[in-house]
Amino acid sequence: MSVKYIPVQWNRNKWFYDFVMLAGVVAFLVLFLFVSPGLLSHEFPINPQVHNARAFGACAFVMLTVILCIGPLARIDPRFLPLLYNRRHFGVMTTFVAITHASYILNWYFAFSKSDKFSALLFANTSYTQLAGFPFEAFGIFALICLLILAATSHDFWMKFLTPPVWKRLHALIYFAYAAVVAHVSLGIMQDQQNHVFTVIFIGGALAVAGLHAYAAWLDLRGGDEAGTVSEGWIEVCSPADIKNGFAKIKLLPNGERVAVFNQEGKLSAISNACAHQNGPLGEGKVVFCLVTCPWHGFQYDVTNGRSPAPFTEMVPTYNLRLVDGTIQVDPEANPPGTYVEPVPIPGWKEVPA
Amino acid sequence: MSQEDKPFFVGYLDIPGPLRRFLLLACLAVVGIFVATGLLIGSTQDEPPASGFRFDYGRQTVTGVIELTPYPLLRVTQGNDLIKPGKTLMLSGQGKSGVDAQAMGLEGQLAEVSGIILQRGTIDMMQLAGGRRGLKMVEGDAPEMETEPLGRWKVAGEICDGKCLNGAMRPGRGLAHKACAALCLVGDVPPVFVSTQPIEGSDFMLITGPDGTTLPKAAYEHIGQFVSAEGDLERRGDLLVLKIDAETIEVIDG
Repeated sequence: MSVKYIPVQWNRNKWFYDFVMLAGVVAFLVLFLFVSPGLLSHEFPINPQVHNARAFGACAFVMLTVILCIGPLARIDPRFLPLLYNRRHFGVMTTFVAITHASYILNWYFAFSKSDKFSALLFANTSYTQLAGFPFEAFGIFALICLLILAATSHDFWMKFLTPPVWKRLHALIYFAYAAVVAHVSLGIMQDQQNHVFTVIFIGGALAVAGLHAYAAWLDLRGGDEAGTVSEGWIEVCSPADIKNGFAKIKLLPNGERVAVFNQEGKLSAISNACAHQNGPLGEGKVVFCLVTCPWHGFQYDVTNGRSPAPFTEMVPTYNLRLVDGTIQVDPEANPPGTYVEPVPIPGWKEVPA
Repeated sequence: MSQEDKPFFVGYLDIPGPLRRFLLLACLAVVGIFVATGLLIGSTQDEPPASGFRFDYGRQTVTGVIELTPYPLLRVTQGNDLIKPGKTLMLSGQGKSGVDAQAMGLEGQLAEVSGIILQRGTIDMMQLAGGRRGLKMVEGDAPEMETEPLGRWKVAGEICDGKCLNGAMRPGRGLAHKACAALCLVGDVPPVFVSTQPIEGSDFMLITGPDGTTLPKAAYEHIGQFVSAEGDLERRGDLLVLKIDAETIEVIDG
């Protein structure tokens, strides 16, 4: 949360996150670049430029694979949520590694000719109608452009400027980039490999991404947020006893939005389930220091009015609530973001000691 | 574990105690993935064939007769310890370029060439030094050079550029190398066909178009692929030259 835009709002956890990820990347590159040539002991070694290009290309693939595994892992087990916290930094790091890979390729395979190397990249192979021999470089270019767009718009300024829904759709480009990388590798280096260790790692990585997403989606389908029953234009949520102090119950509204009904010290309030920051699931968060706290990046809101505490300015819509025959009902029409709604007290509520 | 007992991570607060051990293991797992993949992928790359620039031989200078196929060849008449008379050298310029311009007008003339040898088994090529140091006409009568027709052949294998195949790039052939090879061929580096079976004692040959033309552009589509092709074969010294008919090129499955 911030009242002004600064390049990075560092904190100890972000430093640690970046340190761990950077340590992984540095370890990969050091082992690939400096240790593996000794293990290979080729009489006529692979050209250093090709070796470097492979190191950075393979590293970018592993980084992308890890990045794309974090999302579903966090949905499957919330203990992985901290890995999501600073994932954008890791994404930007991946872009730089991918640029380095592209630079080595461009300055080796497409250099030393009379043609401009950027032009050569586009015209040297135009066999677009063939599968074997397809210009797989095109997939790499597409993936790199996607990564550049994602890195350039990764800052919160762009999220606010574009609005979170548009920003999230734009950043779904990561899936297209990954698919392009899979095609780039499959139609490129994998066509000529005799040793299949990389092939196994590559297919394993791609299957892990696909499998984890499929499993997380299946879990969502099986145990996802239920649609509330409509009763006289209001939506039934649950009994107050079903919501623990400091937590929420999420219901799907007829218009597709989700509402999070919180119990804060025996008083019920409802706000939108979508955080104003990245549309994180507020209802999966909890009340920390009297404020609803998003599980993704810790953005906080007063549950009675959907406003972040001063001096922060984020706001989410609120909803009117009522208790009918011991059942919480919510008005499906959202109030404008930041609208105060008087909390509904739970009759006879008393906190159960932990 | 009930909902309220589950540790809740907030990025700007201290990590809850019960979550620390899990996150430590997750961090080790992430670093472990990078260590394992970096080491495994890096240390299991295919070994390129024994090929490359032979700087260890030093700069070589020999004399012979220039032949334009149209790719310039040197039929060596006065060799040295390494390059014997009777040898036929394919020639290339610096980078991805041939020496057509330098050799123009020298067909059938005696010339001295100087440069660095690229070698891969029995196939080799000379990358000429720049300017007149690389190729210059010399005084004297050029002997008549024999070209032996070997008839029409159908061959199976791969179209490559002769320079990368000889180790200018390692690896220097295959589908992943297609764009680089095409760029070399556009620059008039001599193209080579690598045959799956030895033909007349050689498993590679210089390829040209029919009737003294350069490799047809249609053949570029098939660089790096496993193909068959037909053409007239001839021997020039110790080098085979196949005049390929582009319309006979067929992709072979598998």
